[in-house]
Amino acid sequence: MGEVAYPGAVAPSFAGRLWDTLRRYKLEIAFITPLFAYLFAFMGYPIALAIFISFQDRLTGALSFGNYISVVQEYRFTNALLNTVALTGIGLSLELAFGLTLALIMSRKFLGRGVFRAIFLIPLGVSTVVSATAFTFIFSPTGGYANLILRDLGLITSDVRWIFSANFPGNLTMLFTVVIVDMWKVTPVIMLLLLAGLESIDRELYEAAQVDGATLIKQFRHVTLPLLKPFITMALVIRGVDAFRIFALPIILTGGQVPVLSTLAYSKYALRAFNESAAVAVILMLMIMIFAVVYMRLSRAEEVVER
Amino acid sequence: MRKFDLDRLLSASGLPILIFFSFVFLFPLYILVKATISNPVETIGIRPTYLILSFTLEKWITTLGRPDLWPPFNKSLLVATFTAVLALALCTPAAYALTKIPAKIRYTIIISLFVTRMLPEVVIALPIATVLLRLRLDETALGLSMAHMLLVIPIVTFILVGTFETIPRDLEEAAMTDGCSRLRALWHVSIPLALPGIAVAVIFSWLLSWEEFTYAIYLAVFSKTLPLQIFQFVDRGEPITAAVYAVLVTIPVIIIAYSLQKYLKAGYLAGAVKG
Repeated sequence: MGEVAYPGAVAPSFAGRLWDTLRRYKLEIAFITPLFAYLFAFMGYPIALAIFISFQDRLTGALSFGNYISVVQEYRFTNALLNTVALTGIGLSLELAFGLTLALIMSRKFLGRGVFRAIFLIPLGVSTVVSATAFTFIFSPTGGYANLILRDLGLITSDVRWIFSANFPGNLTMLFTVVIVDMWKVTPVIMLLLLAGLESIDRELYEAAQVDGATLIKQFRHVTLPLLKPFITMALVIRGVDAFRIFALPIILTGGQVPVLSTLAYSKYALRAFNESAAVAVILMLMIMIFAVVYMRLSRAEEVVER
Repeated sequence: MRKFDLDRLLSASGLPILIFFSFVFLFPLYILVKATISNPVETIGIRPTYLILSFTLEKWITTLGRPDLWPPFNKSLLVATFTAVLALALCTPAAYALTKIPAKIRYTIIISLFVTRMLPEVVIALPIATVLLRLRLDETALGLSMAHMLLVIPIVTFILVGTFETIPRDLEEAAMTDGCSRLRALWHVSIPLALPGIAVAVIFSWLLSWEEFTYAIYLAVFSKTLPLQIFQFVDRGEPITAAVYAVLVTIPVIIIAYSLQKYLKAGYLAGAVKG
């Protein structure tokens, strides 16, 4: 049979090779299987179930887009969507700006650098629940240290109502408050990621640029930024995804007064509206996936154009 | 020729910026601690003070004496311990096996594990909650631990793969030529050598679970964990009690971070910040 060359002959040899590989790695496969079984049971299956529930009618169990349509039409959904996008957009830009500034300063060697580094690492060890609790004292409606400091510096004359205000302009202040507390935690992370990037840049490139007469701004624009770009992309994707999912912070800090998509999904769950909760959660998941894919595609395309 | 002018500009303007940010990063934590050890009027009154004017441990004594502290404390302890042990049982063999297969497949698997962390918790928590509800496991420590493992598996696998990679293959092979089976070689040679890495992985998963909030709010509605209890006190308008709990939750983190300083790489922590 082996002498006759026909397409079917490929299949047994492939199966044979597969069998050989399976036998060779039988211990490895036995060791990895429990992990994958767990991931299937507690991630793959739940996600599939969430998607299924999101299409299911609460009473009849019939499948339709009904939950999505009724959720999207809600005022609270629009509000949550806008808040999520605004939190991600404003938060991420500010965090990147401050993180980059700090990373640029910290990438130089100077006396006391270790002390600052240790201080900047502290927010990383503090959980969101704890930092949100700490900031309730800073932004509390009466008294509150933010108002106290701003007053003492002569920047305001009457207290800013950071958190407890019901109407829309007040809502923006609350949004901004959430951004600040999020920045408190995220800026150090971005700083660390960018610092790793800056430390990977060869110092001789700067010296060469100076010999060629490049100004400070030109050095930054043509040496630092292009080489730092992969790190910026990484930081933005990682932290952007987290910003979309933000949950504990708005709930604890504002008592849910700044609804975002994840807290909306939760409040629907708490009211036992499981199907609508699933619909909101699935929309959030899709947004995150689209953000991550599009952002990585775009930054890759830019790299190609630049070359 | 201007030499290193980027340096000069940054060092001139840098220090004030660093000092400002240090203040921003430290001040809220200082206030949190101050709130628990001074007269409440000093922190939440109309005119709060910057310094501790009247030191008192009264709030600590009353809070630690409250009977409602211990159920959430025990639950958090139990959930975190279950999570650490279960994650270790699942990830140690998997990580060992990953170091034995071709590097390309290994890194693909590790990266996809980290990609799973991008999924919003609310998508996964809801169906888990409904299923656990049906199984009557919804308030149990084990149920919440099973969810928390999702959180810790990527980082635990990553740490353990890194640990097993540093162990020379020759050692196991030598044991096997001396007549050990593969499993015995793993148990008597590789595992003991990997113990420091295993310890770091266990501590990490314990901490992540100890501080977790999102899965807990779905899966521990009535028998709360400590982070949920903090939220409840903030919500009820008892900020000082919440602050005592918050400091209490942070104490193990400080102890562990301090004693493990040299093992803790910033990268690990960066993955650990979402709570």
